[in-house]
Amino acid sequence: MCADARERPRGAHGRAPDVFRRGGWVPMREYDDRDAVDFAIVGTGAGGATLACRLAELGFRVVAFDAGAWWRPLEEFASDEEHQAKLYWTDDRLCDGADPVRLGSNNSGKAVGGSTVHFAMVSLRFRPEWFKARSQLGYGADWPLDWREMWRYYARVERALRIAGPVRYPWGPHRGRYPYRAHELNEAALVLARGAEALGIRWTPTPLATLSAPRGPAHPCVYRGFCVSGCATNAKQSALVTWIPRALAAGAEIRDLAMVGRVAVDGADRATGVEYLREGRWRFQRARNVVVAGYAVETPRLLLLSATGRHPQGLANSSGLLGRYFTVHANQAVWGTMDDEIRSYKGPPSLAITEHWNYADEGKDFFGGYCYMSQGPLPVVWAVTQGGRGLWGKPLRAEMQKYNHQAGLKIVGETLPQADNRVTLADTKDAYGLPVARVTHAYCDNDRRLIAHSMDFMSRALAAAGARDLWRETDDTCHMAGTARMGDDPHCSVVDADCRSWDIRNLWICDGSVFPTVGGVNPSLTIQALALRTADRIAALAGRGEL
Amino acid sequence: MGTHSGHGRLGAGVTAGVAGLALAAWLSGRRAARGTASTEPVRAARACHRSSALLAGSVLADSAMEHERGAYANPAMYVPPLMAALVLLAGAHGGGDARPQRHRVRHAVYGGAMATGVAGTGFHLYNILKRPGRWSWHNLFHAAPLGAPMALLLAGGLGLAAERVRHGRTRVPRLLGRPAGQALGLLVGAGLLGTTGEAALLHFRGAFQHRAMVLPVSLPPLAAAALLHAAVAPPTRRPLARWLLRLVRLLGWLGMAFHTRGIARRQGGWRNWSQNLFAGPPLPAPPSFSALAVAGLAALRLREKRA
Repeated sequence: MCADARERPRGAHGRAPDVFRRGGWVPMREYDDRDAVDFAIVGTGAGGATLACRLAELGFRVVAFDAGAWWRPLEEFASDEEHQAKLYWTDDRLCDGADPVRLGSNNSGKAVGGSTVHFAMVSLRFRPEWFKARSQLGYGADWPLDWREMWRYYARVERALRIAGPVRYPWGPHRGRYPYRAHELNEAALVLARGAEALGIRWTPTPLATLSAPRGPAHPCVYRGFCVSGCATNAKQSALVTWIPRALAAGAEIRDLAMVGRVAVDGADRATGVEYLREGRWRFQRARNVVVAGYAVETPRLLLLSATGRHPQGLANSSGLLGRYFTVHANQAVWGTMDDEIRSYKGPPSLAITEHWNYADEGKDFFGGYCYMSQGPLPVVWAVTQGGRGLWGKPLRAEMQKYNHQAGLKIVGETLPQADNRVTLADTKDAYGLPVARVTHAYCDNDRRLIAHSMDFMSRALAAAGARDLWRETDDTCHMAGTARMGDDPHCSVVDADCRSWDIRNLWICDGSVFPTVGGVNPSLTIQALALRTADRIAALAGRGEL
Repeated sequence: MGTHSGHGRLGAGVTAGVAGLALAAWLSGRRAARGTASTEPVRAARACHRSSALLAGSVLADSAMEHERGAYANPAMYVPPLMAALVLLAGAHGGGDARPQRHRVRHAVYGGAMATGVAGTGFHLYNILKRPGRWSWHNLFHAAPLGAPMALLLAGGLGLAAERVRHGRTRVPRLLGRPAGQALGLLVGAGLLGTTGEAALLHFRGAFQHRAMVLPVSLPPLAAAALLHAAVAPPTRRPLARWLLRLVRLLGWLGMAFHTRGIARRQGGWRNWSQNLFAGPPLPAPPSFSALAVAGLAALRLREKRA
């Protein structure tokens, strides 16, 4: 066992951890700080790692930075929820607004691989109409992209991650077959299925980024159930075990424990590189292009922190929209007690899903959609949830006794983008000496109507499946987006369809912040599809000498 | 399975299954008859007994393990492994029996096995249809395997065929009103296609993640086609069918080797055998192809003797 991954960088001295072999290493190419690499990428999650991999494979010289540690999943991921909080981004942030979000566990990660190291692996495509939500469905904003093109990139991501999904997906236009077959359902998933069938709507095994058959050195899923605490078997197809090893093999350098604090820009509005803190020293990496992939809070924060005399409101912010339209997913749940033992924590937490209310437009008193999935909370999360209901002492103990009989349904619900939900800089500073992000969030009436609709419907479904003593978890959110939205018009967006800044043409943004709307599905597949598209567009532009 | 006794019972079950399969394998490989030279019908009958025994060995190990995984939730789940064990014993007895007469106890065992196979198919169908999703890919993959009880039906059928063939009062043995070689060829050909269907379903579930996984869905149908052709066409020598069946016989054992490796590729590999024997590819399944190939070769021999 090596020293703590958080003490000293592991990607150094020409080698990097081999995540597939205990104590193993793989060679890694290294670049000098003074060497102007083709791309400096900030962040190695779903966006950054995917882009780093593809750009390196396309022949570009790439260095990617991550503030987090480079973990070895086979050796360092314990079956211990508290310990595994080491994967979360828990640096100081201020959260305010009428409905402040809770940051940390289910919406950010601090590790090589980003939050994909502890994501729930749910890999869904957007409904085609969502890419034109404003013109076709009457709310939000249009994406500057065509769904058919995204459909092709979705298929590529699904192949790259060997997504395990149903043979036929019940909603939306035809999609090719998922590379791997769906996982066996646990009891919690069967509760969702019975409820859906009783109410006459369709359901399906959830397409998941965890292996249902071997893949090279990675084992198939063993249904350990600690997915959102980090997968210790490498079945989870996180960026850490998919894009990152490919990126290394293609000649990219990944710098762990490297916190980027500023993107430097010259007088000609060209980015020149990034300032980053590693091993206690601020350094500067020169680069011909800079990609920011820090997700919806850290991306705008970094660009705001990089303000200069020519860009006093932060980089890429001539529209004034950087940090605005911070959008989350509503994540409310209905829980109940079943007569039979459910043991919902066995296997991946969300094995069954219905997207009925993403695709049905009748019978709604709100814009947008939601899906809901079966749930498998681990004991500490479950106890904390009970605490959130105000249970303590004897009542809490009594409720925890029922843990093995609990079943729940939880939405990923679309909220509407609102300009006043935003990320700004606060006065307080973090451990790096940088001002922390202030995240301001409130639901709008439409969001509340969607949430109410979903909870009523899920209550009926859960009761129809045989649950009793139903209760509602009303205050959770998940995923984030929107703070550097893409668009056709430089006045109404931060980046263009290629995720390229309108203001600083060699600055790119590659993460969920570019989403103009969030849809009612988990974003990781869309982020990775966008990253693949961005890589192809960069190669095309480079071929024409337009970088 | 976590309990001590559970682990012990599991170990005993697996040991019994593997021992049964080993015995069956040994029997299927035994060629020479004890002592006297026997007639071709008796020779063919004994091959069918061995084939039936090998298939039953596969069913014994597979059903004992899979029903253990299902915690023998229904007492009826004890019947298939018991029946398979009896068929295995009957096959061992019949394989060494040079008398040109049927044996009443063996005959009854084979009939019982066939009935169990039919009933098992019904149980498994019910298991599939009672789940949410009913008749769906997902339930075909993960509910009780629809094709598995058919193997017991087939093992009983091969045993019954052996009894009939050896009991022939005419010089040319007959089965179901047809020349025995033809009837047996049709039975084995259909069995090979059915077994291919099950392998196809399960290898599709495994997403054909390894190239070798296409072998059992490509080679056996070719052998089945050649055998069916040999069964219905005028009797003559069929070297192609013979070689294809020999390859299928080899494929069964090769499949077991691949499945051994497949188990090693699960988390913990063979050190974690008590989990991975169940979660990994089914070790006893592939030799059922070998079993059918043995019977198919016997059918070819009968057919070449104009039976």
